[in-house]
Amino acid sequence: MSLHDLLVAPFGYEFMRRGLLAAMLLGVSGGLLGCVLVLRRLALMGDALSHSLLPGVAAAWLLFGTSTVALFLGGLIAGLLTALGSALLSRLTRVKEDAAFGSLFIVFFAAGVALISKLPTRLNLSDFLFGNVLGVGAADLRLAMAVSGCTVAVFLVFHRSILLETFDPVFHRATGGRGGLVHFGFLTLTVLNLVAAMQTMGIVLALGLFLLPAVSAYLWCDRLASMLLLSVGVAAAGSFAGILLSYHAGLASGAAIVLCLGAALLGSALLSPRHGIIAALRRGGAR
Amino acid sequence: MPPPDQNIITFRGVTVRYGRLTALRDITLGIPCGSSTAVLGRNGAGKSTLLRAVLGWQRLHAGEIRVGDAHPHHARPRMAYVPQRHSIDWDFPITVRGVVEQGRYPSLGLFRGMGRADHERVDRAMEELGISGLAGRQIRRLSGGQQQRVFLARALAQGGDIFLLDEPFAGLDLAGSEELAHILRGWEEQGRTVMAAVHDVAIARRCFAHAILLDTGLVAAGPTAEVLTAANIDLAYRQAGGVPAEATLR
Repeated sequence: MSLHDLLVAPFGYEFMRRGLLAAMLLGVSGGLLGCVLVLRRLALMGDALSHSLLPGVAAAWLLFGTSTVALFLGGLIAGLLTALGSALLSRLTRVKEDAAFGSLFIVFFAAGVALISKLPTRLNLSDFLFGNVLGVGAADLRLAMAVSGCTVAVFLVFHRSILLETFDPVFHRATGGRGGLVHFGFLTLTVLNLVAAMQTMGIVLALGLFLLPAVSAYLWCDRLASMLLLSVGVAAAGSFAGILLSYHAGLASGAAIVLCLGAALLGSALLSPRHGIIAALRRGGAR
Repeated sequence: MPPPDQNIITFRGVTVRYGRLTALRDITLGIPCGSSTAVLGRNGAGKSTLLRAVLGWQRLHAGEIRVGDAHPHHARPRMAYVPQRHSIDWDFPITVRGVVEQGRYPSLGLFRGMGRADHERVDRAMEELGISGLAGRQIRRLSGGQQQRVFLARALAQGGDIFLLDEPFAGLDLAGSEELAHILRGWEEQGRTVMAAVHDVAIARRCFAHAILLDTGLVAAGPTAEVLTAANIDLAYRQAGGVPAEATLR
């Protein structure tokens, strides 16, 4: 196989170009959001949140068909219900936040699987869960563009609030910052991106596009600005490599992208000169 | 304490409750302008609540707090808050200068970038605290004393004249504590008002001119030597090791 066959020929197909563009656009916004998820220690919550979108998306499909806006709103409502429900459960009862979130998301996820298995279409559950680049339509691409653009704009305008709320929420509040608003805005952006990434990445794997580039970048960078840039770069490169892998190896696109990003994480964890495993072993174990 | 017209912060009959739990009971006192004041008491005696009330974060059940002539909300630009060390993620990808620059953020708003005046303020704050040479260093790679100085520099860069410190000595080794004590004494000489929650009575005696001793209610307030008598300390800490703090129900 020539280099041309390997890297260029696949993009002769319209659906491949659309899939690639959607994945890379969402890689950019996911790379940004992932950094905040990692630094605020919300990685597991993000994972739970992504699973909980399923019933909203499935219900929207059942009621409104393939309308992108409906799918998106369905996912958003399900995500916010999970967040709100677990907040209520943890604030008003003795159940702690992680248990509340963990319990609700699994119920939501089960409801989603149940709904999809009853859908009167030839819809494939595995496409919902793991992504199918073949399914990326023009409307999906427009959604990816809008969501990615919106996320980048929010990061540009509110970068100081985001930094303060992530690094030192108490100081943010002491200087008149609206921590609750930043948190809610961040949650909404995450749900938007998860829904937009559903088609290529699938509900279960979408968070990988956010999390893995951010963790990789975290292992290399000592400044937030460089961490954000590297994370975006890793996400975009991983999406490109993953879409190609999915084409050549016939894999679900979400799985292929996550595997490529996983390789980036493994490399970073081993090789980072200051924070990597090999460097730590050379220093004699602990940090 | 001096007459009330010299006080920069005044509490009149301040009571704070969390549900049925009384965190502060009927506190009336004044913080003299340009003084350093240690706030002492056992865990749960209301030290942090008192600081949070000055910042305007705490809904008061009764009474009022004035900062200068203003409600705490309107005095925010005058006050700089230094959080507890353990609330900071020291692995965060940020440099010393990055943290100190945060002190300028509140006055920048959404769209204005850091101007020359802002950078000069940051430079001056770092110089005053002797951390200019560490500007590009990630904050994990500092000693405890240096880490504390970074956050004091951020507070200075804010440009206020009232400094509220939550347990600034907690987690510092001996050298770090000495460093911090030296800085705070210098601040007092320069007429800056410092109010700090302090755990250690010996540190309060050495570094602070004034002290407030709390046991949800006010045990004593005034010059440190008059407040931290054996009798007062016994009164304020009598429940330590006995009835847990949460039992202070009304």
